Amino acid sequence: MVEQATKMKRLINAIWIFNWFNSCGFCELVPLVGSRWDMERFGMIITGTPRHADVLFIAGYQTLKSIKRAQVIYEQMPDPKAVIALGACTMSGGMYWDSYNTIKRLADYIPVNIYIPGCPPRPEAVFEACMKIFHHVGAVPPHGRKFAKAHRG
Amino acid sequence: MAESLYKENKVIEDISAKFKVAGKVQRERRVWVTIDKDELIALCNFAKGLGFEHLSAISVTDWPEEGTFELTYHLWSYSKKILLTIKTKLDRADPIVDSVVSVWRENAQIHERELHELFGVEFEGNEDLTPLFLEDWDGPPPFRKDFDWRESVRQQYYDKANERERAYYD
Repeated sequence: MVEQATKMKRLINAIWIFNWFNSCGFCELVPLVGSRWDMERFGMIITGTPRHADVLFIAGYQTLKSIKRAQVIYEQMPDPKAVIALGACTMSGGMYWDSYNTIKRLADYIPVNIYIPGCPPRPEAVFEACMKIFHHVGAVPPHGRKFAKAHRG
Repeated sequence: MAESLYKENKVIEDISAKFKVAGKVQRERRVWVTIDKDELIALCNFAKGLGFEHLSAISVTDWPEEGTFELTYHLWSYSKKILLTIKTKLDRADPIVDSVVSVWRENAQIHERELHELFGVEFEGNEDLTPLFLEDWDGPPPFRKDFDWRESVRQQYYDKANERERAYYD
């Protein structure tokens, strides 16, 4: 597990993020972009395309229509990749728990590595989750072929 | 007060001269008229000629006890500064109405497409009524009042046997 984490650290030096935010989702990340919490000092950059991203941030409710687009985005990301789900909506549907048109558990549709609870989550929690990506590598099923063998072992 | 509503009353007078409508001035700059659905397109064309060139919105109200859908067209006139509301009723079992795309073109198209998706109202003459938000939806139109959305969500997403999800059934 430690070995995996080291490997992952070597592969990912800076965390490049692709955002897929619905509804109020981006207000969960927007403090990090500003100078007060400033995620760029940790090398976290928001990319314009999923093909350059290591981490997919998903926040807000996903509708039955948008989750399909999210899956396409996930597939476009190069390995190794991780998914961080922000906020209550991704975990249980949040305030949309009884909406006919939103999904309830994001993990049923996309392999989620880490959930960050809160509505919205604190910026510190997002930083901690990004730090934990490396420690969770061994614990979560790896998606890419690079890790497939290690997973079976 | 009656004098100050002169232009509002004038709109109802102009429309009443040509159509059989029930008109009412709600207040300053707000006029309601109710019309039979067969005369709707003729009235819309007439209203556009009067200066109501902006179709702000179309909405549907569901009245299951009455067995009707009530269509409401909100029209704004930039010259008169009046919001004209045209109302008409449809049979709930057979909700077909002529499209106002012939009057307001693309502006009306997207409103009708949405209402077709959410209420199942057929707009005859609108060429593109494909689903807007509800891809793969095979249930009833979800904004109808007799659609039990909470029950549908339980069926679709939750499991009563699951300890953590039992709360959704209480």
